[in-house]
Amino acid sequence: MTVEQRSDPANFRTAYPGRSHLRLRKMLGKTADLVLLMLVLLVVLLPIAWLVQMSFRTQLAVFEMPPPLFAGWTLENYVKITDTPFFRNLFNSLVVSSFTTVFALAFGAPAAYAISRYRFRRETLITFWVLLARLALPIGFALPLFRIFSKIGLINTYPGIILAYLTFTVPLVIWILRPFLDNIPIDMEEAAVVDGASNLQVFLRVVVPLSAPGLVSVGILTFIMTWIEFFYALIFTRGDMMTAPVGVVNFLRYEGWDWGLITTSGVIIMVPVILFSLFTHRYLISGLTAGAVKG
Amino acid sequence: MLAPSVILLTLITILPVIFLIATSFTSWDLSRPGSLKFVQLQNYVRVFTKDDRFWNSVMVQLKLSLLTVPAQVALGLALAVFLKERIKSKWIVELSRSTLLMPMVIPPIVAALIWKIIFTPPVSIFSYVSVKLGLGPLNWLGHPQLALLAIAIASVWEFFPFSFLLLYAGLLSLPEEPYEAALVDGATRWQTFVHVTLPMLMPTINIVLLFRIIDSIRAFPLIYVMTQGGPGFATEPTNFYAYTQAFTFTYVGYSSAMIVVVLAFTMVLTGIVLNRIKWNRGAVT
Repeated sequence: MTVEQRSDPANFRTAYPGRSHLRLRKMLGKTADLVLLMLVLLVVLLPIAWLVQMSFRTQLAVFEMPPPLFAGWTLENYVKITDTPFFRNLFNSLVVSSFTTVFALAFGAPAAYAISRYRFRRETLITFWVLLARLALPIGFALPLFRIFSKIGLINTYPGIILAYLTFTVPLVIWILRPFLDNIPIDMEEAAVVDGASNLQVFLRVVVPLSAPGLVSVGILTFIMTWIEFFYALIFTRGDMMTAPVGVVNFLRYEGWDWGLITTSGVIIMVPVILFSLFTHRYLISGLTAGAVKG
Repeated sequence: MLAPSVILLTLITILPVIFLIATSFTSWDLSRPGSLKFVQLQNYVRVFTKDDRFWNSVMVQLKLSLLTVPAQVALGLALAVFLKERIKSKWIVELSRSTLLMPMVIPPIVAALIWKIIFTPPVSIFSYVSVKLGLGPLNWLGHPQLALLAIAIASVWEFFPFSFLLLYAGLLSLPEEPYEAALVDGATRWQTFVHVTLPMLMPTINIVLLFRIIDSIRAFPLIYVMTQGGPGFATEPTNFYAYTQAFTFTYVGYSSAMIVVVLAFTMVLTGIVLNRIKWNRGAVT
């Protein structure tokens, strides 16, 4: 419906006699809108779909154009990949992402609570710090950290890459959790304080249970962000210690690219993220746009 | 309660940056033992006056940002307006949002892989279709001009959902009254967009712009997987060049100086972002 139509319905009826005509026009417009929208969504999904179908193709069918509809399908890539170091990479990713999530919450949640409950004069400074971690070039931290870690033997270890990931996950946790904590009523904490509880007790016994949903969602977000991270992983992990995204790229380095293994490993790291995102997409949006959006 | 994270973040962010600034004044080269010497501003002088590859990387960065950021914001805005005005069904809106989230949440490395495949003609249905349409094969990644365009297209695909999501949220939070006033005044749809929607949405648009600019400077996986900066240095932005200097070569001192320069630039932009957010508290959802 256009603006003019709405503003003067009487005039509109004389211009377009017959309600069926009007309904038809409206329906056509609606259909056109939907077709346009579907086209956009198709452009978004088709490239991903192409990767996925490649992972189910035989080595020869990958190169067949146009792709055969009924022939050339196989599961052999998913069998073959179990013979590669890729599962070790996945295991590394699982360990690194899990521990990063735990530590990011352990450090970030109390900080978010402190900032939320006690007004700081330096609040702006903290905001700036958090934003900086979101916006600074990763290489600005990665290069010096690499040199420092080399000296103290943290390169190619779980603690090394986990520490590197905390540079951006702790600020992220603080950023997302703080408005969440702002919304939790302070009454119960005050009651606990009256009963003689310490700050830490109040936090652990009252605040943590009340903010459980927020903690879970920011935890999931942290896990995903580190699971898909590539740059730090490329620099801090090698050989046996590589995380999965680096493992995927490693398949690209072999002579005569094996598209089956390349695409299969890509699909394997992508699927959990997509599943997670379908369930938590509201929190994911707030996390991915953190810094640009308040709350 | 704040202390543990402040100490941790100081150790893993502030300390490294100080270390970085310190090494940027040295001639530290890992392949030459004993090269860790103070050389005053030599590295900076070299960055700005003697290094053509640095200036080339700045130009590449500029081109890349100009090719991607306006397209990402314009597409995101068009789609946000379209979805708000034309699509009434709730579940179709939800479906669209979930779908549009995909390019952003899949691992960046997979997104890069996807576009590497698209621009590798023997395995790309898109290249096959392009040939059938008479447009020629999509072997762009080896082409001095088209390689950057290929990366730009991939980047637009991957990140226009970011601007869409923010702008859509921004649109939903706009007040109704100005629209009713425009309706009473008999404004056309285009007039309403230009004189009502755009001005009210400007704070969000500004923030999206700044975030996209800074993220376009951070871009790494697309370039790493698709071109490695090639052919020649045609797709090598400063971030990637600094990475090469530091990790492919061993010039820690020199690359530190280069990173400090880029870091200073992004910090200025960060300051702008922060100020905008402060000015517009409430205006941004």
